Amino acid sequence: MSQKLRVDGQTAFLLHSYPYSETSLIADVFSRDYGRLPLLARGARRPKSALRGLLIGFQPLELGWFGAGEVKTLAKAEWLGGIPLLAGRCLLLGYYLNELLISLLAREDAHPILFDSYVSALQALAHGAEDAPELRKFEVRLLRELGYGLRLETDAQTGSDIDATRRYLYQVERGPVPQVGAGDTAIDASVTGKTLLDMRADDYSDPVTRRESRRIMRQLISHHLGGRPLQSRRVYMELQGM
Amino acid sequence: MAASSSLDELIEALRCLPGVGPKSAQRMAYHLLQRDRRGAERLAQSLSGALERLRHCARCNNFSEDEVCSRCLSSRRDVTQLCVVEMPIDLNSMEQTHAFQGLYYVLMGRLSPLDGIGPRELAFERLLNRATDGLVKEVILATNFTNEGEATAHYLSELLSARGLKVSRMARGLPVGGELEFSDAITVAQAFIERRDYS
Repeated sequence: MSQKLRVDGQTAFLLHSYPYSETSLIADVFSRDYGRLPLLARGARRPKSALRGLLIGFQPLELGWFGAGEVKTLAKAEWLGGIPLLAGRCLLLGYYLNELLISLLAREDAHPILFDSYVSALQALAHGAEDAPELRKFEVRLLRELGYGLRLETDAQTGSDIDATRRYLYQVERGPVPQVGAGDTAIDASVTGKTLLDMRADDYSDPVTRRESRRIMRQLISHHLGGRPLQSRRVYMELQGM
Repeated sequence: MAASSSLDELIEALRCLPGVGPKSAQRMAYHLLQRDRRGAERLAQSLSGALERLRHCARCNNFSEDEVCSRCLSSRRDVTQLCVVEMPIDLNSMEQTHAFQGLYYVLMGRLSPLDGIGPRELAFERLLNRATDGLVKEVILATNFTNEGEATAHYLSELLSARGLKVSRMARGLPVGGELEFSDAITVAQAFIERRDYS
């Protein structure tokens, strides 16, 4: 039995919203201590609603809600500020982060570490850091936090420590295994030990690390999405290709 | 039996209007049938007429009965300025200002990656073709100041500038007559960040 609860003063972000009934909307939010949950924002689509313009993505909000059912009712919302509005290409990358959370995060599972990582990623994007490091750090944190067993420390075959100078094949659901012989270094799963160690240390200063980590993360995420394509990635690629 | 089912169908049909739930749909249906049968006939005819005759103007993409709408053909409009808006209703808002004499392009939407709406769904190519007709010099981006509207404006500005057009964006800030005390924090913050030189 879920209890009737009242929550106040939660820092949260709007991930996406959907129109609901005549004047309301359902806000899919990611809160620090209660994880991802749907909130009914009553009257939020009325022309003069105080919530209009306030329920905006990529901005830290302080929310309060109540209710016992799956969809709680939004009671209070305030803008906290501190993160500039995302602009340009970074907006599209922001949508990518949101879509990952919407697709992979179960409802009402608290993930404060992931939440903090989301905030840092948004901060970086808001300051125009278009590049991969923040996205990769977030993706790594996401898979680790969700218990997808991202293995970066030891080789899945022998259990020995990752050797920075070796090449490995990163096998989905298993982890890195030593790549035999010269091997094909162009295949997606092939990475150097250094890349794995850099990913563990959140160090993306090496261009090789950036390239290889992007490749394996894309593969892993696509696997965990069950092959479902990400809309934000498709739109992003289409826009870049124009 | 047959009568009640066409009544049900009418009620159900009226629910497609924004802001109309089951209760108001019922009220509207009874009103039309009992009190205003002529109004109902007119509504039915104008609705099917509009559906039949209206299409998208080949130039501004707004609804039009003709291949090219009268605004796009008007000799009083400035053909060197093209204002891009999301929806027909936004065009109406702009027109009410009497501040703009140029022409429009209505996107009929905005980029919304999480809903799967990208450049293909919005037919960006059509706008690019329209803006590069050789007469347009400046494109004014008047999409909404939401994340989606901003993303749309950003990508359009890149695509249009790359084609040698001058691109501008509507200004954002406090409303006319606005007082800091009564303005929402996010607007004030953004107005501050986007402050302009006063010289």
